[in-house]
Amino acid sequence: MKMNRRGFIKLAATGTVAAAFGGLGISLAPVAVHAEGLAIDKATLTTSVCCYCAVGCGLLVWTDPATGRTINIEGNPDHPTNEGTLCPKGSSIWQTTEQSQRITKVLYRAPGSDKWEEKSWDWALPRIARKIKDTRDASFEALNDKGQPVNRTRAMASVGSAAIDNEEGWLLQAMHRSLGLVYLESHARI
Amino acid sequence: MSENKGKTFFIDQTRCTACRGCQAACKQWKKLAADETVNTGSYQNPPDLNGHTFKLVRFNEVEVDGKLKWVFFPEQCRHCLEPPCKMMADAFIPGAIIQDEATGAVLYTEKTKELDYQTIREACPYDIPRKEETTGLLTKCNMCIDRVRAGMLPACVKTCPTYTMHFGDRDEMLAIARARLAEVQKTSPAALLADSDLVRVLYLCEVHPSHYHHHMVADAGGATDRIGPFSRRALLAMRPLRMG
Repeated sequence: MKMNRRGFIKLAATGTVAAAFGGLGISLAPVAVHAEGLAIDKATLTTSVCCYCAVGCGLLVWTDPATGRTINIEGNPDHPTNEGTLCPKGSSIWQTTEQSQRITKVLYRAPGSDKWEEKSWDWALPRIARKIKDTRDASFEALNDKGQPVNRTRAMASVGSAAIDNEEGWLLQAMHRSLGLVYLESHARI
Repeated sequence: MSENKGKTFFIDQTRCTACRGCQAACKQWKKLAADETVNTGSYQNPPDLNGHTFKLVRFNEVEVDGKLKWVFFPEQCRHCLEPPCKMMADAFIPGAIIQDEATGAVLYTEKTKELDYQTIREACPYDIPRKEETTGLLTKCNMCIDRVRAGMLPACVKTCPTYTMHFGDRDEMLAIARARLAEVQKTSPAALLADSDLVRVLYLCEVHPSHYHHHMVADAGGATDRIGPFSRRALLAMRPLRMG
């Protein structure tokens, strides 16, 4: 049976629609829909803390026991900070690990190049350390113009990361300060 | 189903900061695909609901009494007490769209593949149904029926950090919505609950509903720019049919 919208409104308005369709509105026989169980029914439940900002919201993390992979993350109602709620970043935190576009290998772009090259960690880490050491040594200032001790380098800056947690953040800034960095910032504020 | 039974959302838009936690939580729970976003001059992204975006926070800058006001509308299916999409679908493929007895949730089944997309979309007074091109299914919010049946809150409600989103038994939601409305009306006399006698999603509008979206209420003016959904009068006219 085909019917255009105007016809339908007319039928509805005149009250003949029930007769035309036979018992319209009376619930149909139960239909097998959404019969599958809850996705997290058999999952392992653990707690965690959101890695993003300093608010430190509590998380509930459901993990598939067979694969060890996360299947759902949401706010922990028993956590005093957020009482079960999460902002959009927290709500999508599942994607920090379960995300096909996530970069899992070192990518290097040489000076002047327009291409990314895949490199190994064994190549990247010593190179980064070497660059930091050389830059720091070349730019280190023990005293400022007034002869006051400053022990700093102004040739390097850190723009931090909103994807590291509080403790990692502390370790990062401690390392930066030990090198003499004074330009410390979080990319969340840029 | 009696209009005082089942479940209902109360969405207090005076509290919404448009953080889009609800939009992200919906996608996360349902594992819906992401869209590549573009800058359209608004923070609203994606620009519209689609086959895999069932919850969308709409951003609007409007002038109210000579002052700029930024209003936010966390849009979703209203789960109509008497859903016109289901009535329309029943005329073609009975059982393609069903209404859950216990909650009143309007649910789209696998059989929606066989329905005519435009016919169903045009039947909706709020322009909610969309088609997922990859599967051919008609899609929209399902009230997180799997969670609700397990005693959990819908994902969008659970995550809301500003307590804009509420969910529970209909009589309880109506009570807190009306109490909050009375509170808001002290400072914003034009405040109202949009179509609260017709739907299971009670939107508290602080300013005129048309400022939020032209489909905020079923009879909002200017709703004919794309497609013509049912008018409020037509929607109301269908209600007595259930008793016959």
